[in-house]
Amino acid sequence: MALKIRNEGVRKFFWGFLSIFLVFVLWYFASQLDHMKNLLPNPINVIKFIGISVIAPIGKTTLFGHLYWSMTRVMTGYILASIVGIILGFFCGWSKLGSALIKPIYSVLRSIPSIAWIPLAILWFGIGENSKYFIIFISTMLIIMTNVIDGVKDVDESYLDVARMLGTKENQLFLHIVLPCAVPQIFNGLQVALGAAWATVIAAEMVRSSKGVGWLILMGQTSMNMTQVFAGIIVIGLVGLTLALIMRWLESKLCAWNIRGK
Amino acid sequence: MSSILKINNINKIFINNNGSDKAVLQNVNFEVEENEFIVVFGPGQCGKTTLLNIIAGLEKQSSGQVFIKDKLVEKAGPDRAVVFQNIQLFPWLTALKNVEYSMKIRGFSKEEYHSEAMKYLELVGLKGFENSYPIKLSGGMKQRVGIARAYCTKPDVMLMDEPFGALDAQTRYLMQDEVLRICNTEKRTIVFITNNIEEALYLADRIVVMSDCPSTVKEVVKIDLTHPRDRTDSEFLRLRKEISAMVNRKR
Amino acid sequence: MKNRLSDNKYKMIAFINIVVVITVWYLLSEVFQVFRNGMLPGPNVILETFISKLNSKSPDGNTLLVHIVSSLTVVITGYIIGVVIGLPTGIFMAWYRPIDYLVRPVFDFLRCIPGLAWIPVITVWLGIDLKAKAAIIFVNVFVGTVVNVYSGIKQTDQVKIWVAQIFGASHFEILKRVALPSALPYIFTGLKVSLGMAWLGIIAAELLAAQSGLGYMIQVARNFGRADLVIVGMLTIGLIGAFLTYLLEKVEHIFVKGRN
Repeated sequence: MALKIRNEGVRKFFWGFLSIFLVFVLWYFASQLDHMKNLLPNPINVIKFIGISVIAPIGKTTLFGHLYWSMTRVMTGYILASIVGIILGFFCGWSKLGSALIKPIYSVLRSIPSIAWIPLAILWFGIGENSKYFIIFISTMLIIMTNVIDGVKDVDESYLDVARMLGTKENQLFLHIVLPCAVPQIFNGLQVALGAAWATVIAAEMVRSSKGVGWLILMGQTSMNMTQVFAGIIVIGLVGLTLALIMRWLESKLCAWNIRGK
Repeated sequence: MSSILKINNINKIFINNNGSDKAVLQNVNFEVEENEFIVVFGPGQCGKTTLLNIIAGLEKQSSGQVFIKDKLVEKAGPDRAVVFQNIQLFPWLTALKNVEYSMKIRGFSKEEYHSEAMKYLELVGLKGFENSYPIKLSGGMKQRVGIARAYCTKPDVMLMDEPFGALDAQTRYLMQDEVLRICNTEKRTIVFITNNIEEALYLADRIVVMSDCPSTVKEVVKIDLTHPRDRTDSEFLRLRKEISAMVNRKR
Repeated sequence: MKNRLSDNKYKMIAFINIVVVITVWYLLSEVFQVFRNGMLPGPNVILETFISKLNSKSPDGNTLLVHIVSSLTVVITGYIIGVVIGLPTGIFMAWYRPIDYLVRPVFDFLRCIPGLAWIPVITVWLGIDLKAKAAIIFVNVFVGTVVNVYSGIKQTDQVKIWVAQIFGASHFEILKRVALPSALPYIFTGLKVSLGMAWLGIIAAELLAAQSGLGYMIQVARNFGRADLVIVGMLTIGLIGAFLTYLLEKVEHIFVKGRN
């Protein structure tokens, strides 16, 4: 058994390595072609660029500085959105009154893609940090709300019956049954929302900013520095991957009782 | 002797979507005495679970009353704990927390519900699995947790709805012996539903024999065989034949 | 019966709620003027702007309808190309093991990159015309489609595959008759998610570089400080997005229901 799992791991590593290596080689040769010169950067230069920019600043700050700015924006908006989204989601999903009060506005706002908030956010909050917090907040909050509402709606009616049979009073049902039952779905929402927050911050930084990884790739485009653009994209991908892995690990810890948590 | 559970003229009519109605229970009457093991036996899928749900207060009858200790049943409550066929443990709680749940929610102290739950988990033979989530337990183990949970609710009556219907034959025999052992350790009033005549004869003090659709009580048979019962004993087989004949007899 | 009565009650509450929200909004922004420089124009202003924008070309040079058509053309072009290429890619990745092993690691990384991050690359490569925008949509759609089709096919019940093998179906036949039909719900989820991504992508692309389209319209409106027009643009974007999703759900209904 242990041997088999290890083989599986080795196999995955081998193919992963081979596949990335092949892409790298293809990319390298493509970048050597004459008419690709200004369009596709040499991958070795891209990696060098990432290495150097850890120490040497691009624009106002180093690569880590840009990452720090982007992550601060994401986290501020995201954490705020999680708190508000979960509370509103439960109110809207569990209470009919809440649903009647919140649903109409929620439905209108939800249909608007996150990016479309950028101009209004800039008008309302200026070009500083607040507008970025707001954009992240509004887009992720709606995603989280949607998942909480679905999670509450999906609570099996029979669990409520069993709980009543075991002596649960109506006002205890929410805390003891509905809440734990909805946790996996809520977690799913938090996961999706984090990915969306990361994409949104890139877009917001491309539209209006003077730092952050979104700014980094847009600057690369304006100055026709494709090495910088590709370096930025790879870093964006790596951060996205790390965020996804952290969330998956958290899920396996927090939702151990659930099939999806496995 | 006064009866602890009284089923009084229960009728249940389902109304289909197309407006036609279907009677599933018709004038059901019987009484259960304290610490008695009653098996409600009947063929088919008609009515028995509905009857149990009505006793539990999970479904509403069309007419008639259910009394527990002369108190009218109106909704679900911990005086009637159900062991469901599909078990219905809370998947987000460990085995122990599932068993503790009822006493905890009703405000018993931590020492009280913890020691009680441990006692019943041990009684059903699950010591060592306190911290396992239901997803990690086998069907038989889950049903043991279900029984421990029902016990730990401290009900006046325990209602068991074909609790072993989904188990394989071997586990089923084992669980039947387990139920008898558990009941002898701590006496409880039990209403047990099954469509398996052998199971009924093996467990029951009295068998309520029901007809199929609409279900009505054909007869109540007292079983005087001593435990442990032998499934191939001649008296056992004779009763089996007799009750089978009752069910098949046209009214 | 009692349930329906209380449902009606909550419908009434919802309705009254909407009326109250709009009235309060109107009072705050138009009568008491609490928002500075018309940051949140009243609902009446929004409606007026919407109606006048149907004919007016200021400040961005086109009427609302032209912008809508412009955005939709790009989205549909990019979406169709993305789906047409993404579907078979996802199927082959999931169904043929060597391709799975070889392509999957790269793909796992690629899906972590938001489609919007490719905008600078595509702008350099293709400029800012329709072709370039369709390419941005394509990237957004392609990744989403492949991921969902891939996981849909991977979820195929192993028992069903064995049954098909026992009856002598070839690898390709099993794909066609077993794996694809059972993956259909996932595929439609993928199509819906991708449609959302496409609609998001076009707005982003138009915010960054364009001469027409709804994204361009709200960007110009922002430069002119026209919050009313920005909000009209946002609501239009939301409405069209919802409508596209609705259309796709109808199609899904026909396909998936046909099987049951």
